Amino acid sequence: MALFARKDRLPIPPKDAEKKTTVCQYCNVGCGYDVYKWPVGKDGGPKPSENALGIDFRKQQVALQGQAIIENMHTVVMDKDGKQYNVLVLPSKASPINRGNYSIRGGTNAQATYAPSKPTRNRLHYPLLRVGDQFQPISWDEAIDIIARVVKGVKDRWGPDSIAMKVHDHGGSGSGFEDNWAVGKFFFVAVGTRMLSIHNRPAYNSEVWGQRERGAHELNYSYEDARLADTIVLWGANSFETASVFYTEHMLPNLQGATIGEKKKIYRRGEPAEAARMIVVDPRRTASVTVAEDVAPGRVLHLRPNLGTDYVLANAIARAIYEKGWHDEEFIKKRTDLNTFEDYKKKSLMLDVPYEEFMRRVERLTGVSKRDIEKAAEWIAKPKRGGYRRRTLIIYEKGVIWGYKNYDTIASIAQIAALTGNYGKPGTGCGRQGGHQEGYVRPHSRSRAKLVGSIYAGGPPPNIDEYVKWDLRSKVYFVSGTDPYLSTPNAQEYKKRIHERTLALTKFLSEYAAAAGEPAGSEERAKRILEGLGKTDGLFLVVINMYQIETARDAHIVLPAAGWGETPQTSINCNSRLLRIYDKFMDPPGDAKPDWWIWGRIATRMKELYEAEGNYKEAKYCSGMDWKDAAEVFEDGASEFPDNRVSKADEAKLPAECYKGVTHDLLRKLGQKGIQTPVRIDPRTGKPVGTKRRYTYKFGTPDGKWKWYGTDPWDPDPKKFYPPQITKYFEHGNEKRFPFWFTNGRTQIFWQTGYHDRYLPEKVYTIPMPYIEMNYRDAERLGIKSGDIVEVYNMEGNCVAVVYVNDSPPPGTVYGIMYRFHESLNHLTTSYTDPKTTIPWYKASRVGIRKLSGKLEHIAKYTSFLPINDFK
Amino acid sequence: MLKAGLSRRTFIGGSVVLGALLTNFRFAKAFVAPSLPYRRKKIANIRELRTHRPIMFNYPDENSPAILVKIGRPAIGGIGPDKDIVAFSALCTHQGCPIQYSRGRFICKCHYSMFDPAKNGQTYQGHASEWLPQIRLRLDRKGNIYAEAIEGLVWGRVINLLPK
Repeated sequence: MALFARKDRLPIPPKDAEKKTTVCQYCNVGCGYDVYKWPVGKDGGPKPSENALGIDFRKQQVALQGQAIIENMHTVVMDKDGKQYNVLVLPSKASPINRGNYSIRGGTNAQATYAPSKPTRNRLHYPLLRVGDQFQPISWDEAIDIIARVVKGVKDRWGPDSIAMKVHDHGGSGSGFEDNWAVGKFFFVAVGTRMLSIHNRPAYNSEVWGQRERGAHELNYSYEDARLADTIVLWGANSFETASVFYTEHMLPNLQGATIGEKKKIYRRGEPAEAARMIVVDPRRTASVTVAEDVAPGRVLHLRPNLGTDYVLANAIARAIYEKGWHDEEFIKKRTDLNTFEDYKKKSLMLDVPYEEFMRRVERLTGVSKRDIEKAAEWIAKPKRGGYRRRTLIIYEKGVIWGYKNYDTIASIAQIAALTGNYGKPGTGCGRQGGHQEGYVRPHSRSRAKLVGSIYAGGPPPNIDEYVKWDLRSKVYFVSGTDPYLSTPNAQEYKKRIHERTLALTKFLSEYAAAAGEPAGSEERAKRILEGLGKTDGLFLVVINMYQIETARDAHIVLPAAGWGETPQTSINCNSRLLRIYDKFMDPPGDAKPDWWIWGRIATRMKELYEAEGNYKEAKYCSGMDWKDAAEVFEDGASEFPDNRVSKADEAKLPAECYKGVTHDLLRKLGQKGIQTPVRIDPRTGKPVGTKRRYTYKFGTPDGKWKWYGTDPWDPDPKKFYPPQITKYFEHGNEKRFPFWFTNGRTQIFWQTGYHDRYLPEKVYTIPMPYIEMNYRDAERLGIKSGDIVEVYNMEGNCVAVVYVNDSPPPGTVYGIMYRFHESLNHLTTSYTDPKTTIPWYKASRVGIRKLSGKLEHIAKYTSFLPINDFK
Repeated sequence: MLKAGLSRRTFIGGSVVLGALLTNFRFAKAFVAPSLPYRRKKIANIRELRTHRPIMFNYPDENSPAILVKIGRPAIGGIGPDKDIVAFSALCTHQGCPIQYSRGRFICKCHYSMFDPAKNGQTYQGHASEWLPQIRLRLDRKGNIYAEAIEGLVWGRVINLLPK
């Protein structure tokens, strides 16, 4: 009856089970998990004295208080000693972040582990070399030698910029500080290329220079602030689904009034402490809105701006605050730069335009009423009884980060917090929610290629998607820890071009082999590749990943990477910058290796090749990467951070990730408690101390003051407001062919492309193919029902999707999941990037919808189509 | 008539077998639920059921609340003429809070997980990584509805039949 095998019992960890500290490999929240491991057949007993958890398994555990142990938290792994071990991956009650809570994603961490008897056997085991149209396993020595010779050869002949990359920069699964440091040292120092791009996107950039260049890093608050705030603003952040435990464990109790006691301890004497209010800015009626409404009716405000108009809306809220006199004069005077404030008032607040006229323009463009704008202003900034300032925590994410005019949008939101004094105090802060966790440490100070910031800081950075697609000077392309065939904007055109270019090289090599036989070894093979890169439009593609990802189908070499739990790793989470160890508890599959080892080996081989020809200068740049273990890489990375023996106030000058003085061993001792970055060395005690909340005393600018930014002028007429990539859809009959706005996002059900989740039966049934959400009104007009299959298409590309009809997207707007397993709705996004930052606008394009005849019966039968945003 | 419906598992039953299963996890790990000697329990008669009016009961013991409900649409594992009568553990698989049946689906108000009773207790929204354990039902000729076994681990236990 059950759709897949279920269990009704689990083995009990014995008292001597090995226990390791780890953190969820998935989202920004970074829930703590405890790993228990013991040999199969050596189970503990049900009495508290007989098991590692000290739980009486003879009794039913108590809801919420008990330790969650579910079927998905158990697995059996095989280590290189040839023995089988039980593994339990349990949400840690000792973690301040999740306190035993967990999400639908994290609850399956154990299932993501490799096992030869489970679907995760699909992991890459050995380096693979393309010969013609097939992959053949080869040794690491040969794979590394080919890559090192090709990189060196290309660099020597065409210069370092002929080597491009798109590589992870994050924390969590399969990366963290160790891997990021190795990647940086390889590309910044050993290679010295400028042609860098991060993770999913086309360039090497911060997504939030609009805030950073004001003087505040985007991760400045702590999870406690969500418990202490008077008002929580979620802007373009569907936290219930994409920061699940942060939302339910910390925001909901505040909305319910369950944290009033905590507030009274921290607030000033006489300051009113009440249950929080929540403002959600999102075109969709997301679950984050409807859950909050269920918990706190009357204390939730939902603003639904037209796509891409968020920066105008943010500045309008700021204008309303200023107009009512609710801004924080004292904070502005003491903590911010008054010269640039004039620019902000003129351009962003548009004080020259009369208030009523300004609001008329805003209403016309954004679709948000003046009444709601003023209500948001009141909830954010109107002082409480007794004149106490409201404590407002503003959390924003992809809805605006990947919006129109990235720089101006992020700046406008960050400045609301500065205008209202909401930085550096309990219950305040303004920053991103985060998508994944973070682990950024790269050798900027030693980079041979100049790294640039926004247009205001030497930038913008080059668009590497465009570079590898069209500029034949690009010869080698590394893709690691990301799957751009699904995740890069305008993905359909991108993969078509990468395919054409990689195929050109493959054809050359095949024809060469047909005439002269296969090469006699890696040196000869590398020579032919170099020759082919000179004679064709070819591109040599190297993919490093845990799985044979979509992009790997066009790779020439695929290298198998170790994943979460298979090597010690460190990352920080987003809501508190909490640094913890994600310890190793099992061996990687086959001969898979940690990324840092792979980059280190390629660099070291390049060093040997340069030394052999007497080029000691280049050899030196490739040195210092023959690390022995992850702990050594972590400590090598610490060398990049400045002297952190500074006062509490000077934390503002430290990079957000600064962990200097911390070691893997210290993190093992700290366990789930971890330490919050930036870490300082206390000048009095000489010991490392964390930073709970940032910018209490000064901002991260040379003079410590917030730098204001005056936004670009905007036109209230949508036809003039949007860029050509969108306005082309308003002309020549396109408005009729593509009548819907299209926006995209994530689901709570699975993580990213579902690279692990695709092996879990629950996920395959629940999200059987890409989906779109459509408003009842549009669906009725088009005769579309939940479960129908449609083609979504526009001038960029197409995708087939199953439909959920609900009231989440507004009429006229269709929402789709960004990507799933093998398919991508990024085919529909345009190639627009913000000219100031090269950040793409994933979140809006125009589409047409065509219903396919017939249904997929399996999907109609097994997938739930109940509305995911209705909790009544 | 009842005898004819008895499963081999119910016949075996008994604490001797249960004890053997509990100590031999080398075999246990290969077992797919239901792997335990669940006892049959009468819950209700089909004539007592009204669409969307859930009946609470306990299964497999008094500390494990469960819900029987006629959902008014065909369900995976559903019994009755309309194949729409289903039963599930009433403890949310996320952190053990009691779930409610509301407007055709189960909802947990602790962290807002929602489960589709027509689709095998599928978590279609929320935090619960595990679908709601579904209870195998049997209908006899008199219209009596029996719980026979539970597919999936009840929250708060490492074995559905609590060990002594």
